[in-house]
Amino acid sequence: MTNLSPFDIQARPNRLLAQALSCVLFVVCIGLYMHTSVERHKENAEDRVVPSGHQLVAGIRSAVLEPAEEDDYIPAESASTWERLRHSMIWKDTASSGGRFFISLALLIPFVVLAVHIGLFPWFGAGFLRFFLFFDKIVALSLLPILFIAFGIDQWSKIALIVIGVAPTMILDVTQMVKAVPQEQIVKAFTLDANNFDVAYRVVFRQVLPQVINSLRLNLKPMMLFLFAGEMIAASDGLAYRIAIMRRHMGMDVILPYVLWVALLLFLIDFSLRVINRRLHPWFQA
Amino acid sequence: MQSKRLGTFSLLCSLALLVGFSDAATASAQAPTFTVGWSVYAGWNPYFYMQKSGILKKWADKYGIAIKVQRFDYAASLDSFVAKNIDACAMTNMEALDMPAAAGVDSTAIIVGDYSNGNDAVLVRDNLTFQTLPSKPVMLVQKTVSEYLLERGMVLNGQQAQLGKLHLINTSDSDIVAAFLNNKSNEAVVTWKPLVSQIVADKSVHSIFDSSKIPGEIMDLMVVRSEVLNTPNGQKFARALTGAWYETIQQVAAGQANALKYSAAASGDSVESYKEQLKTTALFVSPKSAVDFTDGPEVQQKMDLVRLFCFKHGLLGQGIHSVDDVAIAYPNGTVQGNKARVRLRFNSAYMQAAEQGKL
Repeated sequence: MTNLSPFDIQARPNRLLAQALSCVLFVVCIGLYMHTSVERHKENAEDRVVPSGHQLVAGIRSAVLEPAEEDDYIPAESASTWERLRHSMIWKDTASSGGRFFISLALLIPFVVLAVHIGLFPWFGAGFLRFFLFFDKIVALSLLPILFIAFGIDQWSKIALIVIGVAPTMILDVTQMVKAVPQEQIVKAFTLDANNFDVAYRVVFRQVLPQVINSLRLNLKPMMLFLFAGEMIAASDGLAYRIAIMRRHMGMDVILPYVLWVALLLFLIDFSLRVINRRLHPWFQA
Repeated sequence: MQSKRLGTFSLLCSLALLVGFSDAATASAQAPTFTVGWSVYAGWNPYFYMQKSGILKKWADKYGIAIKVQRFDYAASLDSFVAKNIDACAMTNMEALDMPAAAGVDSTAIIVGDYSNGNDAVLVRDNLTFQTLPSKPVMLVQKTVSEYLLERGMVLNGQQAQLGKLHLINTSDSDIVAAFLNNKSNEAVVTWKPLVSQIVADKSVHSIFDSSKIPGEIMDLMVVRSEVLNTPNGQKFARALTGAWYETIQQVAAGQANALKYSAAASGDSVESYKEQLKTTALFVSPKSAVDFTDGPEVQQKMDLVRLFCFKHGLLGQGIHSVDDVAIAYPNGTVQGNKARVRLRFNSAYMQAAEQGKL
């Protein structure tokens, strides 16, 4: 007989029960949504705040198969689904937001390298650590008018916002990891005739890399948050741009699919980073 | 032991619920309460004074109801109105059509307060004109009256064919001044006062088009949900609000010191700057002027331009396939669009009552 007490640490639901339990909250959420939607549509058949399934399908269709309103492209009658997809609103927005996202991700790499130096080399630590400690506490969003002067209102101000928002946190985090590497190992490596850079890159960096990737995974959401903030303030394309525009006439039928799409993208990036981490560092127990 | 704890917990929960319910019950036993939402704008700031000065309370008491006034951000006020959290809201004719009306919330404009007569403007650097504009990025809050103004400017200057070539950058109104002024490569911006005044303080920027060239097309309305208006208490509410509005706005127009001071303070402007904003706001100070405007044929022509703009830009919603599916009814009984789908109504009855002193 399975122990059914939820307040028993030793009690373990069987596989089927565990699967079912993990679905419960999803079902409750979907149920609540549908209930609200049906109620609101009973009162007002054209309600846009909580779109019905039918409206959502229409919204998804127009997001996935129809070009963005500002584009000149008109799909030919005979255009294949793939052709339509490639010129669709969601594709265009994903491409431009994705570009910004990955450029910022790439720009974080030099900061990680810098952090290894800060943690390991006392001269670097003396020069940089206090500055980044201070900078980490700056709320990047409030600097936006300055970023506009420095980077214009195009691509680079958004990328700068992400990097300024996330890099100091990453740097402090990685510095801590580097400092946690036992001193004995470093001494030992020196006695085995390693030079400074061997120690930095082949002993310490290799060792902290899986933790760095995990830290990056935790920072994906702040990155997306900064990207969204930037795109909502000034943009002419991008996922958050579309949401901002749609909000102006309560286009929740498009906004909700966009929100779920962003969640899926983030999940996929997170998932692939986790897989890469496990492949590269099978020895690392997270 | 465990079950006893749980029991206490559920008892507490149900107690809390009970308290909550009885709270709501006592509230509804009092005078019926209505909420008005407004946001910062020259023509709406007087609502702040109306509440502060007690004018609103005086009128509400006269009708035996309670009226609350709540300040919002513009977008948030519209969201609350559509979500039916508030009963009335100050909005422009364009948003009245593309937010509540298009979302199926039957709405009635009971006060036509003013129209923008220069409050909204297209500003450029250098000697840009409507001919050369299409190749340059234009900063504005997209899908608002700013975009409407820009398109009307293009059309009235014979550039209709170039409309598709405009390169628009959607910029939040909270950052548009800094973003535009700080970078000389931004050459054009469309926005409204007081932001316009802040931008033209820079001498290299000048206006090439403003809303005084399209008088009456950007109206500022007080909109009430029709279902509220159709109840006896709702009608009292509309009467009280209209009465309070005309008493307030006449004080503002007469330049009464407190009326100006509090209306200016509502948006954090100085009295000087607020007076300057009022100059480009065509206020309907007397109920008669508002009634004449609302009952006249002009409103219908202007609204036709606006509804076509909204439809062309998909602001009426994905499911709307004809501009006639969000119909507008006017005081003389004319309906613009499909008679079975009237969503926005202009009602001059309350302004008329104010004109005849019957409130």
